Amino acid sequence: MHPDASRDNDLFRLLVQGVRDYAIFALDPGGHIVSWNAGAARIKGYAAEEIIGRHFSVFYPPEDVRSGKPEWELRTARAEGAIEDEGWRVRSDGTRFWANVIITALYDDSGELRGFGKVTRDMTERRRAEQQLTDRRRLLAHLVEAQERERQRIAWDVHDDTIQAMVAVDMRLQLLAGKLPAEHRATVDQLDGAVRASISRLRNLVFRVRPPGIERHGLRDSLAVYLADTSTAAEIRYALEREPGADAAITIFRICQEALTNVRKHARASSVLLELSTADRGFLVRVVDDGVGLPDLDPDAGHFGLIEMRERAESAGGWCTVLGRESGGTVVEFWLPDVRS
Amino acid sequence: MIVRVLIADDDPLIRDVLRDVLDDEPDLEVVAVAADAREAVELAGRHSPAVVVLDVRMPFGGGSHAAAQILRRAPGTRILAFSAYSDAGAVDDMRRAGVTDYLAKGVRNTELVAAVRRLAGG
Ligand SMILES: Nc1ncnc2c1ncn2[C@@H]1O[C@H](COP(=O)(O)OP(=O)(O)OP(=O)(O)O)[C@@H](O)[C@H]1O
Ligand SMILES: [Mg+2]
Repeated sequence: MHPDASRDNDLFRLLVQGVRDYAIFALDPGGHIVSWNAGAARIKGYAAEEIIGRHFSVFYPPEDVRSGKPEWELRTARAEGAIEDEGWRVRSDGTRFWANVIITALYDDSGELRGFGKVTRDMTERRRAEQQLTDRRRLLAHLVEAQERERQRIAWDVHDDTIQAMVAVDMRLQLLAGKLPAEHRATVDQLDGAVRASISRLRNLVFRVRPPGIERHGLRDSLAVYLADTSTAAEIRYALEREPGADAAITIFRICQEALTNVRKHARASSVLLELSTADRGFLVRVVDDGVGLPDLDPDAGHFGLIEMRERAESAGGWCTVLGRESGGTVVEFWLPDVRS
Repeated sequence: MIVRVLIADDDPLIRDVLRDVLDDEPDLEVVAVAADAREAVELAGRHSPAVVVLDVRMPFGGGSHAAAQILRRAPGTRILAFSAYSDAGAVDDMRRAGVTDYLAKGVRNTELVAAVRRLAGG
């Protein structure tokens, strides 16, 4: 062999042997292991001397061995040149890992099958991460729903019981005030004033926890009422081609509510624009203020408004971003799919 | 002339204070007090009140049901819906059922009394 070629071969062998993230090894035409690398040792847990010469079906779980999957994969690789597969594989200690496997048939110059190359990657972490992501999504969707239900319950309880009882107390106090001598009347009038103020605060609370009538009056009016109620001077540009369904409407309302709360609390803005339009078969909403703009945010600072907005949008299958504007001020922009389309 | 009034509300506190507030007026007399829609219809039939002060959300059909029934039997009855359910839809239902006027709970007693007098006079 040419000295350069032999040095290249050596290098290549060292490369393959040294790769740790991939199990790279060769099988003879019958499926017995003939080479082993560092990645294979790490991923599968066998040392080279333990495994060389054994049949590669030891890597498969018993149910796959029973169904003849190892042989089937070799046959397919031979017929088609290569086969890729994702599935469970077994380590030397019997534990399983989720593997991405590519088996390639290796032919020499005369066209004779010399064996197979097998490259295996451990995908367990990635699979778990993906799984966790969807579990997390499901949990979030569930939490958002539970929160709405709980809010509705609280709103009804306050509305039906507490406010009702306080109205009765208020009426009773007025009646009493009329019967009392003047020196006591002032006191009772004062009590009456306090009760009326509490009633009005409770009504606002009920409205905030459960905006009434989105179903009945539509999203636009509910947003307008909310803005009037919180005395946020905002312009609404409402250009939705289709009214959102009940779930989307609540989500849009809640995110706007959170964004507008932030504008009121932090922005020192002189104007707010609420823009709703139809885009990408969904609802695109922008809450634009001309205030002080976003500071550099410490992600661990215990602020939940921005997080909640994003979670709500994402658990509805959409997205939400918050940006500083070049001209000053802040934009909260979010999109939700119109799931009925 | 004394105006005969029927009160219907499922909340006992509201019921009692309503009676006292209206009875306190020399020209008004509470002739009966009902705790649900069914009782309201029954007592209206028995006492022929001139004015009914009716809660919107009540057991056995709610205020709109009671209003429709009462008016079917005694079309001259004037009905005042009196409810915390300050929802436009609920008011619409009540108006469709033939309610003459609507007051949200939380108004001053004087307004309530004035509304009852207005209904009785009109
Ligand atoms: N419209 C805005 N204009 C200026 N600053 C904003 C705006 N919206 C958010 N911020 C900044 O971003 C920070 C994080 O907002 P976030 O809503 O997450 O938390 P928060 O409002 O401080 O608390 P909460 O958890 O009660 O919502 C705020 O503290 C504020 O400094
Ligand atoms: Mg906030």
